[in-house]
Amino acid sequence: MKNNDRGQLYTIEGFAAALIMIMTAYFVVNATSIYTAGDTHINDMQLESLGNDALKMMDIAPNGTDTKTPLQNIIEHTPDVDGPGFNTTFSRIINNGTFQNPNTIQYNATFTCRYCSGSVCNINDNTLVINQISSSRNLTGGEHPVRATKWVIVDPPDTAPICNRDGEQAVLVEVLLWRD
Amino acid sequence: MARLNDDAQWIVLMGFLVSFSFFFLAMVINQSTVVGQTTAESVIEFPKNDIRDVREVIGESVKSDKYTDIKDDIGVISLQRKSSIVWYENTTETNPTIIEIHYNNGVTSYNETWTKP
Repeated sequence: MKNNDRGQLYTIEGFAAALIMIMTAYFVVNATSIYTAGDTHINDMQLESLGNDALKMMDIAPNGTDTKTPLQNIIEHTPDVDGPGFNTTFSRIINNGTFQNPNTIQYNATFTCRYCSGSVCNINDNTLVINQISSSRNLTGGEHPVRATKWVIVDPPDTAPICNRDGEQAVLVEVLLWRD
Repeated sequence: MARLNDDAQWIVLMGFLVSFSFFFLAMVINQSTVVGQTTAESVIEFPKNDIRDVREVIGESVKSDKYTDIKDDIGVISLQRKSSIVWYENTTETNPTIIEIHYNNGVTSYNETWTKP
């Protein structure tokens, strides 16, 4: 170290020059890729998974029995038969937090069924009817919602048909979720 | 710069090296957010939940006596509300042993031949 103490500043200048050249090359190469700032996708993913999981939980019959699931009962307009309605159950699941203050996730839930004009359905009956289930707040247009969906097979009785149909049919439950 | 004052050159050089290493460390940390973002994007894009859900409802539907109606329900509603083409066929009407499931949402295509275990 003590033999020759000169030339360090030249080394620094060399480093600086190398750094400038590397940085220039780096920026030139990097400029071609599109970079979306922020991590909104991560929040979207979490919210979507949460909604899907909540719907899945609601479509499981209580205590592993063979009775109807809460979601089936809600769609068949008989929430009183087997527990609370959609708003109570769903809000409790999605807003359940580890901390004392719960989350404030809002939702708007609908289900879509296929309308059949006659007594017998066929593939040409492709009119869909979207029915409101429940909503914690109205969508104003400024939100950034994600969508969670769940297929449910319901079996409405003759007295309360869904989409002019009784008996088993498949409906799609759609929930829009957004953070306040 | 050189030759003006030759004192403490080693200190300046080491300081320069440390700042240089900090720079590279910052670049590595900067990449980590991109990694999280692309992972989240691919999770959203790949319709894992949709495929699972559709498999489940198809499995339920073949047990129903309104099998053909439910099959049309799934096909029509999928196309209009989920922008995906879903079709399936079970080769034995009652007590199915083989179901062919086809799913395509334009990005991901999924085909399965389910056989009774």
